[in-house]
Amino acid sequence: MSDVGVAGRNRRPGLPRLAANRWSLLVLPAVIFLLVFFLAPLALMSLRSVTDPPGAGLSNYEKFFAQEAYLRVLTNTFWIAVISTVTCLVVGYPFAYLMTIVPGRVAGLLLIAVLLPFWSSLLVRTFAWQVILRDTGIINRFLLDLGLISEPLTLIRTTAGVILGMSHILLPFMVLPIYAVMRRIDPEFGRAAANLGASPAAAFFRVFVPLSLPGVVAGSLLVFVLALGFYITPALLGGLRDQMISQLIVQQIQQRLDWGFGTAMSVLLMVITLAILFVASRAVRLRDVFGSAVEE
Amino acid sequence: MRRSSAIPALVVVIALAVFIALLMTRTSGGGGTSASSSAASSSAAPPASAAASASGSAPASGGTTSAACTPPRQEGVTLTYVSFGGAYQEAQRKAWLTPYTELTGVAFNEDENSSNATIKAQVESGQVTWDVVDVGNDFGLDANKDLLEPLDYTLIPRDEVLEGFAGDYRVADMTYGVALAYNTDKTAGQIPAGWADFFDTTKFPGKRGMWDYSEGGIFEVALMADGVKPADLYPLDLERATKKLDTIKNDLVFWSSGAESQELIGSGEVAMTLIWNGRGWSAKHTDKKPVEIQWNQQIVTADYLVVPKGTPNKDAAMKFIAYAICAENNAKPSEFIPYGPINKNSKPAEANKADLSVSNADENSAYFDDTYLIENYAAIDAAYQAWKTN
Repeated sequence: MSDVGVAGRNRRPGLPRLAANRWSLLVLPAVIFLLVFFLAPLALMSLRSVTDPPGAGLSNYEKFFAQEAYLRVLTNTFWIAVISTVTCLVVGYPFAYLMTIVPGRVAGLLLIAVLLPFWSSLLVRTFAWQVILRDTGIINRFLLDLGLISEPLTLIRTTAGVILGMSHILLPFMVLPIYAVMRRIDPEFGRAAANLGASPAAAFFRVFVPLSLPGVVAGSLLVFVLALGFYITPALLGGLRDQMISQLIVQQIQQRLDWGFGTAMSVLLMVITLAILFVASRAVRLRDVFGSAVEE
Repeated sequence: MRRSSAIPALVVVIALAVFIALLMTRTSGGGGTSASSSAASSSAAPPASAAASASGSAPASGGTTSAACTPPRQEGVTLTYVSFGGAYQEAQRKAWLTPYTELTGVAFNEDENSSNATIKAQVESGQVTWDVVDVGNDFGLDANKDLLEPLDYTLIPRDEVLEGFAGDYRVADMTYGVALAYNTDKTAGQIPAGWADFFDTTKFPGKRGMWDYSEGGIFEVALMADGVKPADLYPLDLERATKKLDTIKNDLVFWSSGAESQELIGSGEVAMTLIWNGRGWSAKHTDKKPVEIQWNQQIVTADYLVVPKGTPNKDAAMKFIAYAICAENNAKPSEFIPYGPINKNSKPAEANKADLSVSNADENSAYFDDTYLIENYAAIDAAYQAWKTN
């Protein structure tokens, strides 16, 4: 994901001109760092998926596609990532908008409210949801004691539980890019629209929303890609069917030591993710998303 | 236009990355280490940290004193000992490491993140820093022979080790049981007699805890509940097992770490759970929760000591393993933790004797067939995932 952003930035001046400018040599350490610690391991991993066991070829991939269950897990992974992204967007967009229209001090408080959960570990937050949601948890205890229900509600070990937990963790990644873009939208645009006879709703939907789209895309891509790699939250808050592919990968790498199969699954996940990013890049200019947005 | 100039650049970058990757494989002596080592959760490590320290007293006493128990002085030697951390490693430290240092002068470095993957990464990259590693029952068989040194049974008393717990590359160091734990508040005074009751949600209402791992006992206990004798478990009848599991599918709560299982049963979120006996013990004695263990139809299993291939301290590692396995010392951790000896002549500490898997082993006890499980992993796990996600 970040390499796409870097590539996008390099493109602008054009390669030859970049080489001519000796200041551009300053970027060399960063490029070498990326190559050695990021791209080379990725290449190694991809190689391993076709060479382990020796002469493996595509057998690791065949093994994956031969099992309907693995495919179900893969589909499920993307499905959960999509729903989490949509949930974050639905909650995050109004929140970011609120931050732009309230006075500065309140906006600061709202920002802290989003960032605060960042400072505790993912595991702790997930366990906290468990304590709240489970059969013997706070909500069910409360309702049972009040006599409102006689059987505990099924709040945990459901897909809804997973989405709740994941959205909570991922929300900052949606709110911050959207807020960054929204803040730079000139309020004069809204007034100009009103001046030209647009109703407040029309001014919002036809002027403000389109201008905030780069933030929406950036946030959505961030959340989506991060969500794909989740597995602790689904394992703790989800049911039997809410398994995600990272869990299978960890098991192959950590326990079974079948690194050929484990890397094959990782490569699959990466390729599909890159394909989605590629399609997204055709729809929106990634440069706008990851670079300096709305300058026009 | 901007795309057309980007594609050659991209090709150059990818080619460079592959080139560097190949260089890295070459210099690391084949194999390649990749970026995927360590980190991750301690989820699947068998008994992880177990009980808190038990009421000490009554030191464990051994049988005959063999040469293994009296290692020579080895000044200047440092061994890196790796286990699962917590109270578990603490018990091993008190029982084996500290006395061994006093006796021989060998110093220990400790790591608390035993991981099969780290052993593999170290051996493949030729950077072996672990000397003696405590691993779960899924590691150390012939399938891993490229990663391990063969054990020196001229030092380690193999004939004193319980049948089936010593192999060419691994020897068990302590036993534990995969057993049924129940919350007495939830079972209302009734005692579940075995796995059949675990599957009977009419007689015993409530949720059931289960380890989310295809080879952690889920199929074995389903088959035992369905009437299969412990001795006839293998080869696993996966179809029969999944059919039995279907009957409680909606009542199952999966856990992936020992701490979780302890919490689930202690809080009563589940009425019964499959548990590593040390965790059941902790729920009762450390957390003071109404939890009991039903030993009937337990699966007796063990943790093993292995020596990663290529360690410069191989001989010192073998001497230490012999010391930990010998009759006089093998039961000593049981003074601190309810995990029992593997040496037939080693007597567990009286204080914890009743809470040990080996003390409760009888003709109804089952034993994992580790070789079968490892050889048939692909099929077993596929059946598990298919059942789970269906």
